[in-house]
Amino acid sequence: MNIKKLILCLLGTLLPFSVFSLERLSDSTLSRVQGQSGLTIEQSQLLNIGNLSYTDDGNSLNVQGLRISSQTDINASSSQKYVMDITTDGALSVQTTINPTQMHIDGIRINNSSGSFGDLTLNFESITNFTIRGMSTGGLEGSFTTGISNADMIWQTNGHAMSFNNIAFNASVNNFTFEYDAIDNTKGFIRTGLALGMDNFDFSFSTGALSLGGVSLGELSGDLALSANAQVFGGGRNGVEGLTLHSQVNILSDPENYVKFTDEGNSLLMGDFSGFLNLTNLTLDVESDHLAIGFDQMDGAFNAGKILIGDSSRPIGSIELDFEFTDYIDAGNNANNRYNRLQLYPGIREPDFNAMPTQIKTYAENFYSGLLPTSEGLSMATQWNLANAEASYIDDGRRVVFSGIESYGSADTTIDVRDQKIAIGMTDLKGSYSIDGLRVGSKTAPLQGGAELLLSLGVYQAMDFDIDGFTEITAGGVSGGGIRIDGDYFFSNTNIGLSIDEYEEGIWATGVEYDIHLRDITFDVESDGLEVNRGEQWSTMDIANLRWGDKTSGRSLGRIKLERFEQNSLLAISPGGAGQVCVGASATSEAACGSGGGRWENRGNQGMTVALVAKFADESKGVGDSAGARNRFTWENNRNESSLGEYDNDSGTQIIFDNYSTNDGLGTSDDNTYGLKANLNIDVYETKVLKKSTGVDENGVVGSLGEELIYDDVARDSYTYVASPNASQKALRPLGFAVQGNVSFKELNIDAVQLKHPNIPTPQTVFYGVVMQNLNLTTNLTATPIQ
Amino acid sequence: MIKIIMLILSLVYVSHIFALEPLAEEELQQILGQGGVYLSGDITINETGGPLNDVSDVSNPPIWQQNCSVTSTNKRCGARIAVNAGDGENSGWLVLDNIRGRFSFEGMTLKTRVIDTGFGGDGALFDSDVLEIGLPNTISYSNVSFTLANSSKARPTDVGFNQTDILNVKIDGDVTLRGNLLLFPTGNP
Repeated sequence: MNIKKLILCLLGTLLPFSVFSLERLSDSTLSRVQGQSGLTIEQSQLLNIGNLSYTDDGNSLNVQGLRISSQTDINASSSQKYVMDITTDGALSVQTTINPTQMHIDGIRINNSSGSFGDLTLNFESITNFTIRGMSTGGLEGSFTTGISNADMIWQTNGHAMSFNNIAFNASVNNFTFEYDAIDNTKGFIRTGLALGMDNFDFSFSTGALSLGGVSLGELSGDLALSANAQVFGGGRNGVEGLTLHSQVNILSDPENYVKFTDEGNSLLMGDFSGFLNLTNLTLDVESDHLAIGFDQMDGAFNAGKILIGDSSRPIGSIELDFEFTDYIDAGNNANNRYNRLQLYPGIREPDFNAMPTQIKTYAENFYSGLLPTSEGLSMATQWNLANAEASYIDDGRRVVFSGIESYGSADTTIDVRDQKIAIGMTDLKGSYSIDGLRVGSKTAPLQGGAELLLSLGVYQAMDFDIDGFTEITAGGVSGGGIRIDGDYFFSNTNIGLSIDEYEEGIWATGVEYDIHLRDITFDVESDGLEVNRGEQWSTMDIANLRWGDKTSGRSLGRIKLERFEQNSLLAISPGGAGQVCVGASATSEAACGSGGGRWENRGNQGMTVALVAKFADESKGVGDSAGARNRFTWENNRNESSLGEYDNDSGTQIIFDNYSTNDGLGTSDDNTYGLKANLNIDVYETKVLKKSTGVDENGVVGSLGEELIYDDVARDSYTYVASPNASQKALRPLGFAVQGNVSFKELNIDAVQLKHPNIPTPQTVFYGVVMQNLNLTTNLTATPIQ
Repeated sequence: MIKIIMLILSLVYVSHIFALEPLAEEELQQILGQGGVYLSGDITINETGGPLNDVSDVSNPPIWQQNCSVTSTNKRCGARIAVNAGDGENSGWLVLDNIRGRFSFEGMTLKTRVIDTGFGGDGALFDSDVLEIGLPNTISYSNVSFTLANSSKARPTDVGFNQTDILNVKIDGDVTLRGNLLLFPTGNP
């Protein structure tokens, strides 16, 4: 079935038959209707369709049990009113009023699939106006407004529902065009298709609640304006039939547009959008057991000038993202080909448990227990290839660009709704990502190192990964709305770039196995920021080799094994950085700071504050799944070499820092309410960079020991060394991350420091305890990327 | 592909340049083959005491609740580390107590780079990556102090606690640190 047939079928289904049963009026009758307001049709409709199929190359997408009825009684008709008129410029004007109506689908299947995507229900009422007229060049054009209110959208699988309640949606299009003159030759032959255009598509939306089992996660709302063109062609990626689309979308710059998530009256807001999105060869095909979606290329830019976390008076800065997803074909080796594809399967496709690592297999079996081949849900097979992305963070006008972001990979995912939960299973998430480095000041500034600064936020510079993970999302945080997460994850065959260059040389953690378990992790938006309460988490990161240089052949420091066990830890992110800071002295004013030998810095209103409370739990605190979990650091070397460059774990000598934990000062039997606190105020700020020796530097610039590096202008692509920079020169100092940090704990206890020789079964104790108390460490550090 | 071409060309180019002659130490300091981070700032320990000194926190033991101003000399206002190097419960503890003070510096660098030349010919033999910690020229110490002691128990709150101070240290002034600290794996991993 091609696109024209599909549209005709839909029109035939939706329009009242009475429209087409009008009879021609006589001249005398016509003479009496001149000057009247047009034609009004009132209709009642109860529609039940057993099966509506879209067939593509012999495969069918079946919409089963489609019903359009009254909202209050599914056996009663819904009512609509159509008012049609011809305007003075010859356009057809139609106003449609749809009284409260329910549209319901029992299930969507591919061919005769045993599972379905679940059932969908849409309750709504609406008023729509559109005008349409012929174009002199052929085709149609017009304008459009719609208002949908009192709407609910419900997705239900296996008797459990997720719903968007009390939706309001308003949209208008100043001018749309509909022509049949688009030309495409991307498949090696010329084809003609529909050309669609929208000028100023302005829409706003709000939801009263996003609910799981009647409990709200929060509310969503937004306002956005787009202009877009699209070209639609018959014929997909596979076979003869299907659908192909190219589109070009511009996000219209408007400081008032936004997307907002609200939890108990507190909001996360991103707004002041601009950007664009281009899609090439977006295809849709129905295959024997799945719906195949793919594109050759998607590139664009997304800019958000305003980001608020909780506190509406303090933005944290702005972000800009440029990206390009594109297929990669290696003519010499098809195994290296990388695509951007999505396959949607009805029902739940359970993974092969026997092919899983043993560390995650039991968790996977438990996750899918109770599901059958006939269970409803959504399964996806995904491939992506991000050829390049540049992500900028701008703080008080100062820009840092994370440059050369690349990623590719594939994953199998299942999603279904369970008892008040969204269950997301992800298996064989295999792929890689890397960040080349930083650019500071502008997008075109020279590429520098420094991406390892992200380590402080738990983000690695590069990673090859193979992940199996299972997540359950429940509505409700610590108070009221919010989100709660429970999950089990296992990383295998993983390499982590800790400090590397654009050629992927540096320090690597290789052969990593990372076992992570999360329980009662809640996300809440508070009046002063975003709060993540980590009820319980335990993990083991086992690094086979910590290598210097290449990730496969670099010299190894040995094996590092880090076990962690935390209960009731906390992470809070709030707007605003350090503000005014005295570096190198203790003072609260610029004058006092200077006289005390310090340097006064005003880091502005924007920026971000990260507050971490890590409550390391004693190994005696674990029960159930976490029984036996502990905090332990092990370094092993002098292992047996099993093959060239590979070593047998537990065959060497180990030093072990065993069972470290925090408490409130009286020992491991005491409470653990304080934990280890780390507060970081993060800004992007000018940094004082001094020359470390007299002479010519690596870029041929001459300077003396102790002189400051000052850029020549705001382009920041050339510099000189200055002995005593003036105020304007100080504004051209290198940019970097300025971090005011504080780390404190009441007590950090290490049970034992041990040594283990491979020939003995148990470790020997070196220190029978290390007790650290009453630390309050404050840092004012600026970290600047350097070449 | 362009990266591969650039990498190959740069390797060819670099091998010719670096094969000419060993570099002097001064020149080696300027080799910045890879990216990294330049750090400046200060680190302050217990300037106004630690969390156990907070008198408003009623969960803190009384022995720790002290008024710790910047100029306070109360020995409980600093951080404390106790290490048991004996045989556990029956032995004493080596203690670094009352740790306080500020360290400030300009220009500590942290980066990885390849050493394949210099060092009197040893660089070419080494031909591997190192983690280079570029030392700041000067580290300023301000009111840095600690006490070295022996203690019968790990914590001042423990029953039977008894501590003997061995020496007190206080440092003010500048320390000159030049050159680089190179860290790299060696031996059998």
